[in-house]
Amino acid sequence: MGAYPDEGQAEPEVNARGRRLVSAAEPYFYAAPVLLLILAVMLVPLAVGLSYAFRDLLLLDPSGGHFIGFDHFQELADDPIFRDSLLNTVVWTGASVALQFVLGLILALLLNREFPGRRLVQALVFLPWAVPTFLVGLDWAWLFNPVVGPLPHWLFALHLTHDANNLLADPHWALVGPIVAAVWWGIPFFAITTLAALQSIPQDLYEAAAIDGAGVLEQFRSITLPLLAPTLAITILLRTIWVANFADLIVVMTNGGPADSTQTVASYIFTSAFRRLDFGYASAIATVLLLLLLLYALAILTLRRAMLLRHT
Amino acid sequence: MQRRVLYWIIHYALIALYLLFALFPLFWLVKVALTPNELLYSEGIRLWPSRASLEHFSFVLTHSDFPLFFRNSLIVSSATAAVATLLSSACGYALSRFHFRGKTLLVALMLITQMFPLVMLIAPMFRLLVPLGLVNSLTGLIIVYTAFNSPFATFLMQSFFDAIPRELEEAAMIDGATRFGAFCRIILPLTLPGLAATAGFVFTAAWSELLFALMLNSSAQASTFPVGLLSFVSKFSVDFGQMMAAGVLALLPACLFFLLIQRYLVRGLTAGAVKG
Amino acid sequence: MRRRLWLAAATLGVSLYSGAEAATTLKLVEVITSPERTETLKAIVKTFEDANPDTNVEIISLPWGPSFEKLATMVAAGDTPDVVEMPDMWLALYANNGWLESLEPYLKNWEHTAELNQRTLQLGRVIRNTAYMLPYGFYLRALYYNKKMFAAAGVTAPPRTLDEFIAVSKTVSATPGKYGYCLRGGPGGVNGWMMFGALSAGDDVYFHADGTSTFTDAGWIRGFTTLADLYHGGLAPPDSVNWGYNDIVAGFYSGVCAMIDNDPDALIAIATRMKPDEYGIAPWIKGVGGKSFPTIGYGGWSMFANSKHKDLAWKLIATLDGVTGSLTWNRRIGALPIYTAAAKDPMYADARFKGWFEELADPDVEPMVMPMDLRAWALFVSSVVPRTSQSVLLGKLSAQDMAQQWARILTKAKQSQK
Repeated sequence: MGAYPDEGQAEPEVNARGRRLVSAAEPYFYAAPVLLLILAVMLVPLAVGLSYAFRDLLLLDPSGGHFIGFDHFQELADDPIFRDSLLNTVVWTGASVALQFVLGLILALLLNREFPGRRLVQALVFLPWAVPTFLVGLDWAWLFNPVVGPLPHWLFALHLTHDANNLLADPHWALVGPIVAAVWWGIPFFAITTLAALQSIPQDLYEAAAIDGAGVLEQFRSITLPLLAPTLAITILLRTIWVANFADLIVVMTNGGPADSTQTVASYIFTSAFRRLDFGYASAIATVLLLLLLLYALAILTLRRAMLLRHT
Repeated sequence: MQRRVLYWIIHYALIALYLLFALFPLFWLVKVALTPNELLYSEGIRLWPSRASLEHFSFVLTHSDFPLFFRNSLIVSSATAAVATLLSSACGYALSRFHFRGKTLLVALMLITQMFPLVMLIAPMFRLLVPLGLVNSLTGLIIVYTAFNSPFATFLMQSFFDAIPRELEEAAMIDGATRFGAFCRIILPLTLPGLAATAGFVFTAAWSELLFALMLNSSAQASTFPVGLLSFVSKFSVDFGQMMAAGVLALLPACLFFLLIQRYLVRGLTAGAVKG
Repeated sequence: MRRRLWLAAATLGVSLYSGAEAATTLKLVEVITSPERTETLKAIVKTFEDANPDTNVEIISLPWGPSFEKLATMVAAGDTPDVVEMPDMWLALYANNGWLESLEPYLKNWEHTAELNQRTLQLGRVIRNTAYMLPYGFYLRALYYNKKMFAAAGVTAPPRTLDEFIAVSKTVSATPGKYGYCLRGGPGGVNGWMMFGALSAGDDVYFHADGTSTFTDAGWIRGFTTLADLYHGGLAPPDSVNWGYNDIVAGFYSGVCAMIDNDPDALIAIATRMKPDEYGIAPWIKGVGGKSFPTIGYGGWSMFANSKHKDLAWKLIATLDGVTGSLTWNRRIGALPIYTAAAKDPMYADARFKGWFEELADPDVEPMVMPMDLRAWALFVSSVVPRTSQSVLLGKLSAQDMAQQWARILTKAKQSQK
């Protein structure tokens, strides 16, 4: 399969065939460096990592490593902590992504209008993304700590909580902490990509709609959303995958506690691998997560294709 | 007229809220970094310490290994940004311009690499890098980070290239240029904002990475600044003041960089977004 | 003339070559890292390098927080040091998996072995009665109390018994925002549970003769319940369910809670933040039968079995744990000494250490060694204890059920150890 059908017509047969071969191979040359790199550095370790799921592998035990088939998965099915962590993952991922998306969208809409100081505001409001995640976790853990942070006292003063204690120590509310931190950190990503998409919508579409008498809300619903949808779908897909795998904030802020109430699948993988040193079990959990995310990705991509088809 | 005034009031109010939300935690970082140790807990909740002091900053700069860590981070992040952007432009170009067998597979593979928790890759990767002598080295980190960031960087570059019409290089090729020549001399210069944006994104990601920097490198000579921040958590005390000071210092390049390129990120993504 | 030149060159070459050959590098890994500590370590190591001119020591300091997983990853991938700092809790894991070299042959020929106190050798040999590590110092629990908070609440003296402890906690907690006990509900909280359990059991025996765990006995259950009740009764801060080492120490010196149980090394953090008249250290409280069971922990130095320079590595350990080395080290890290004679060192005569030496001299005080020789202990402590104990503190699990779960796990661990 060549790249371009309209090469020079008047060339001798051999030259033309040679050129077609080269042009057929062209894309592979461009893509090769990245492909080789991710094969060697990511996909091979990934395959090895996946294989651990079928072996009994305790990190420091040189006598282990035997093949045990699906034993780990059997153990997983009976593991109440895993079940709870699945639920927590849904809450964690859903809430974080939904909030980042909505707030990011609103921010993008706000920045889409020209106003004095817009450039400065835009630059400042995107800053959280530049902070390393473990510093984000520490900063917010500090903010939620009543001894050194203002938030518990403010929340109490606003009558939103019935005492000025540390949110992170309450098993019912502890997950709110990492979610808030994740939203703070993740809004810029959504805002940037959404803003870019917004700015690519031709103005005349809005003008035409305004002439037809459509109000702001109507314009948003019939023009903005449908045109944004394909980009938003990809952005949401990527962010969901990243957030689902994201254990940093939880490990730093609550360590999965108290009493495993904030344990998500990603942090459970971390604790299984690095506290229990049970790499076989951790790998099994990771495999399940991978499968779930694959299914999710397929669903979103199918949805997106349907949206694109409907629009053309 | 009333509606317009109301609209702008709400507009500015919301912007102010966002600014407050985004900047308050950063302000708090700076505030803790400027609070002397004795006041750290007794004045924890005040909005500004009664006696601000630069003692933490001077300690971090003169007594810790921080300058070394900073330098290492700079080397690793810059190199990663450069290499990743270069390789991803090539790959992004391929995805943008060609239909080829295995294209879907390549995209699928890149997507899959994002789905597996990186924690699980540490042990196999360590075993892979030890015989190659790439453990405890900055080069090893650069290679690993480039691999991690290439999928997303490729996606970014692809959308930038999508915005540039094919006719440009086709015209050049009809005039006798090779595709690669056209790519280098015509297309790339046009995507300079896109290149800057991708480089900035990768730089920020590499700059903040902790897990692999911690696990793959052990000696101070090869440690980056996130690992350095961890060294402020010792058994005898968590030197929060110093840690926050180090954190603020480390944030400066990342923030500056990001401030400069975020404009290009938006502009560049705009062009290719609808096709996304 | 030419011949002589060649000869000179050859001699020079050979001497350079053999000189270069002789320089060895030893790798030393420290895991409970802090900047001041690393300085002290470097100084002791320098005395070793001066005494052994052809040897360099490369010190690798792992950040304390992730040191467990970091060392495990390095070792599993083959990146092993020659000498490593070995905390008591990790010994079973590394020794039982064959990573460590037995130090017995070296100890047999060492001139200082006879000067070590009995505890040193006893604790170094917990695994298969073989010395897989040589301890560098001991950490014994005692009671730190905040004199200012006591005075404000009208308490005149530190509690000596469990009942007094509870009464004092109640008095201090009567003031809103103040609490009696800095409970360690998060990582590393196992010591508290064991100490309170033993206090009510009147004994520090973990297993019956038949190898089953004693946790199902009424005394231990009562002890666990007592600790849980402290939290439920508001005598410990509500956040403390999540608190780790740094949080309890910070809670203590910031005046949130009045008492903590901790080791001498907490003194380092506390002394820099509190004035000497603001805090005191008393022996740990006594329980049933007038007995007290403060936990005793230790750290030490181990040699890796695959080290290529075992004799040199031993020399390094001998320097680190030598008479001067060990004292310098303990002065920095605040641990109790391994040498019998060291107890007379002026550092330990300081008023602040009085509490510990009182404990050591008291026949009713039995330093309690937790069953760290069990292979499953490290996992039990890092994963099972926080999860179950937090559930108990939060009221989701009864102390009795927790005791049953723990008993089941430990009995199984003991039996599979045979």
